[in-house]
Amino acid sequence: MELLRIFGARLRGLFRKQRLEQDLSTELQAHLEMLVEENIRRGMNATEAGHAARREFGGVEQTKELYREQRGLPFLDTLAQDVRYGLRMLRKSPGLTAVAVLTLALGIGANTAIFSVMEAVLLRPLPFPHPEQLAMVWENVHLPHYQNDQNTPAPGNFADWKKGNTTFSGMAAIGYRSWNLTGTGEPVRIEGEAFSADIFSVLQTYPMLGHAFTAEKDRSGAAHVALLGYGLWANRFAADPNMIGRAIRLDEESYTVIGVMPQGFRFPDPDDQLYVPLALTEEQLANHDSHFLRVVGRLNPGVTLPKAQSEMEVIAQHLTSQYPNSNTGVGVRLISLQDQRAGNMRRPLLMLSGVAGLLLLMVCANVANLLLARASVRGRELAIRSVLGASRARVLRQLLVESLLLSFLGGALGLAFAFWGINVLRGYAPAEQNLAEVHLNTLVGAFNLGVSLVAGLIFGLFPAFQSARGEVVGKLKEGGRESASIGRVRARGLLVVVEMALGVIVLIGAGLLLRSFVRLEQIPLGFRPDNVLTVRVILRGPRYSGLPERTAFYRQAVQRMQSLPGVRSAGGISFLPLTMQGRTTGIAVEGQPPPAPGQVPFADFRSVSPGYFATMGILLLQGRDFSWDDAPQSPFVVIVSQTMARNFWPHGDAIGKRIKLGGVNSGAPWVTVVGIASDVHQLELIGVPRPAMYLPASQDAGTGDTLRDWVIRASGDPTTVASAVRSAVWAIDPTLPISRIQTMESVRSSYLGPQQFNLTLVALFGALALILAGAGLYGVAAYSVAQRRREIGIRVAMGAQANDVLRLVLGYGTKLAVLGLAVGSLAALVLTRLVSTLLYGVSEHDPLTFAGVAVLLASVAVIASYIPARRAMRVDPLVALRCE
Amino acid sequence: MAPPRGEVLQGTLDLIVLQTLHAMGPLHGYGIAQRVQQVSEDLLKLNQGTLYPALLRLEQRGWITSKWGASENNRKAKFYSLTRTGRKQLLAETKSWERMTALMTRLLSGTEGA
Repeated sequence: MELLRIFGARLRGLFRKQRLEQDLSTELQAHLEMLVEENIRRGMNATEAGHAARREFGGVEQTKELYREQRGLPFLDTLAQDVRYGLRMLRKSPGLTAVAVLTLALGIGANTAIFSVMEAVLLRPLPFPHPEQLAMVWENVHLPHYQNDQNTPAPGNFADWKKGNTTFSGMAAIGYRSWNLTGTGEPVRIEGEAFSADIFSVLQTYPMLGHAFTAEKDRSGAAHVALLGYGLWANRFAADPNMIGRAIRLDEESYTVIGVMPQGFRFPDPDDQLYVPLALTEEQLANHDSHFLRVVGRLNPGVTLPKAQSEMEVIAQHLTSQYPNSNTGVGVRLISLQDQRAGNMRRPLLMLSGVAGLLLLMVCANVANLLLARASVRGRELAIRSVLGASRARVLRQLLVESLLLSFLGGALGLAFAFWGINVLRGYAPAEQNLAEVHLNTLVGAFNLGVSLVAGLIFGLFPAFQSARGEVVGKLKEGGRESASIGRVRARGLLVVVEMALGVIVLIGAGLLLRSFVRLEQIPLGFRPDNVLTVRVILRGPRYSGLPERTAFYRQAVQRMQSLPGVRSAGGISFLPLTMQGRTTGIAVEGQPPPAPGQVPFADFRSVSPGYFATMGILLLQGRDFSWDDAPQSPFVVIVSQTMARNFWPHGDAIGKRIKLGGVNSGAPWVTVVGIASDVHQLELIGVPRPAMYLPASQDAGTGDTLRDWVIRASGDPTTVASAVRSAVWAIDPTLPISRIQTMESVRSSYLGPQQFNLTLVALFGALALILAGAGLYGVAAYSVAQRRREIGIRVAMGAQANDVLRLVLGYGTKLAVLGLAVGSLAALVLTRLVSTLLYGVSEHDPLTFAGVAVLLASVAVIASYIPARRAMRVDPLVALRCE
Repeated sequence: MAPPRGEVLQGTLDLIVLQTLHAMGPLHGYGIAQRVQQVSEDLLKLNQGTLYPALLRLEQRGWITSKWGASENNRKAKFYSLTRTGRKQLLAETKSWERMTALMTRLLSGTEGA
């Protein structure tokens, strides 16, 4: 309390300075005058009286100074002084200031940019009320041949979860949808969702215009209604407020617009543009076999995720005993929506921020080194200040203020770098790493300030202590270079070792990521992506509801595309490989005993047109390709993958065998194996290919599939045929939207996009680390040569050869580098465990990477100390001896 | 902000000023200085200027307050007076001072006797 009052009084003292100064003068003047009067009364003359009074009073100015110190907050006063002085010092050595500020800006900027991504992806609260109550509900499937802890739930499971639980206040299902939007302007393909009516109360988010679906609308057979996403409403319909009640055409059917969702609404996918009722049928709600929903729930207030998880697990166990055929091995898993958003970006982001942090430490070491070098120049100035009465704390503070000035300047510039960097990142980031939401905000700004402060303390404290130490007299004598500098040389050496060690860690991390990326790129795809163009054309609406109409389109499309100049072949498929989409079904194999519950074999399946295999370069190992003669009335046929053939018919006699989609009791027809195709990585690159089968799109053996993605092999650059392909499609049907025009190479690289993105950033950090390590070592080697000029001169005078001098300097640099390499490698052995989940096909202790980094850094070290060594070799002993 | 060596100890000066104001009532700085010198019979050599930072310090602590007024010769001067907390403080400090001097006396006489 008392302290607070004193502080308050002093603070006031800071701000009413002028007035208080006047008061002080008046008061002291009065005192002096009274003294003079008294002296005159005692009989002195006026002059004498004045002198005596001043003697008695003491120094007026000293008194005022003491008074001021008592009055204000001297800390703040002198701080302002320190800052002014510090700025002057920085201006006086512009080279050092520029280098320090620039490297600090790089280090702090990198950290700020990475943090801004972390802020958006990991930290920022979701844009829903009470977001902590929201969770995604997945099936947790553990079967001998299939594991997935985020499996899309079957509608029957969703219905039973919803009915049975007491921990959720609401649960809603979501189904993926896409449409051809026609009627106004060019036909476009739009993506969106089907929501069950509960979604609005679960998310506590409602349309900004119009109204939400009611439970009546969320029934099969109800009239078609749709909610527009904000983007679609603004772009396609010019933000027309009268859209409510209007009809739009989706897949050639009419939908009434009943509302528009608010601007920030991006759930569950950022690309969603339209929402319709899910309208699950009674039949679907009893279905536990086909798994295609996403489910989001809101927990009751106060219910924790683990508590809800354990209740849901009990429900899942009930379902398993109730439906052993479909639900054996099917559990449940809750993931908070916040964690779901972070998804698989959490680990890479933590890794990147760790690497950026190491980089900043290197920057700190480098700047500390620069400051130490300058400290030897400033030793004399500091010595004079302490002789003149500056306390050690005062000198320390002065030096720290200078460091903090540097780091805040660097931080400010770093913020600009980060701003620029975020824009660049956004352009290069793969679509799945949604960086649209990343921007600089208060939290990022605060982080930037905090990092600047910490960095300033880190690189400032070390040299400040170094300088404030040491005795004064030595420094004053003759600059005192030799004596004072030994400790400093040692300190700088230590800094370089630390820097080298940090560089080793960063570079080993980058090396490991590089090696695993190369391994990923080397995985055989099972198809040849070169020269292949792909476009998406989806047939929708009543005109294409029948198989004959669809087949007619497919046949024409393949013919027209194939006959384009520059095109070798063309074909279509339901789901392109490596696009993370596909379908899987249980199957029955003729002649094999019916499997036990939970043992039903599964296989991926795709529908294709004739020509697909040839176009993609997928080898047919046995049997034949499909032809347009594989019609609904001819025998049903299938081509199986090599893995599938091996799994089900290990004796190599797959051709001619029969299987059925959907399991023993399904109504699907038996289909005969007519060919075996080489394995393709359909869904993911990593892991063994899963059993897969291909069915002709011109037959429908119970798939209900349509062809969506078309592949065209060109004789040269596939992009040159893109517009011809578009015209070919529109020549058949001008109302069809054509989307996702890209090369197969870019499909593949966008599959590897996240890895490539991480690698690029880490490689960039690695390059910076290398430069910093080299610069640090160079600085120290050059400094030691400058310091030891005289010694070298004596050695040369005593007959040392150029080679001896070279060895002397190189030896010093190499010693530091080797020490740093050893420390860094040891630390990396421990630290790389943290990134092991981000690696593929390479051990976290990969000897090649460790050795490579060692060689790389050692060469940099040799080069960095060779340059000053050359200078040392040219030392003229006479000049060297004379100059000091 | 410790007083330069060779001068009156800070705490002592505080006590002297408080006691002076207690005895004399409101006084200006000059008055306090005169009084101190008078009482100490010039044993205490006080740079009168150093009194002012002490006065400010006491005021910041809330032990004394100040007010501008007219001196005997009608000169504008700042008058200091004791506050209630100042009175309490004086009492407390006087006690602790007495304890201290008693202790010192005992200690020093012991030394002499040895």
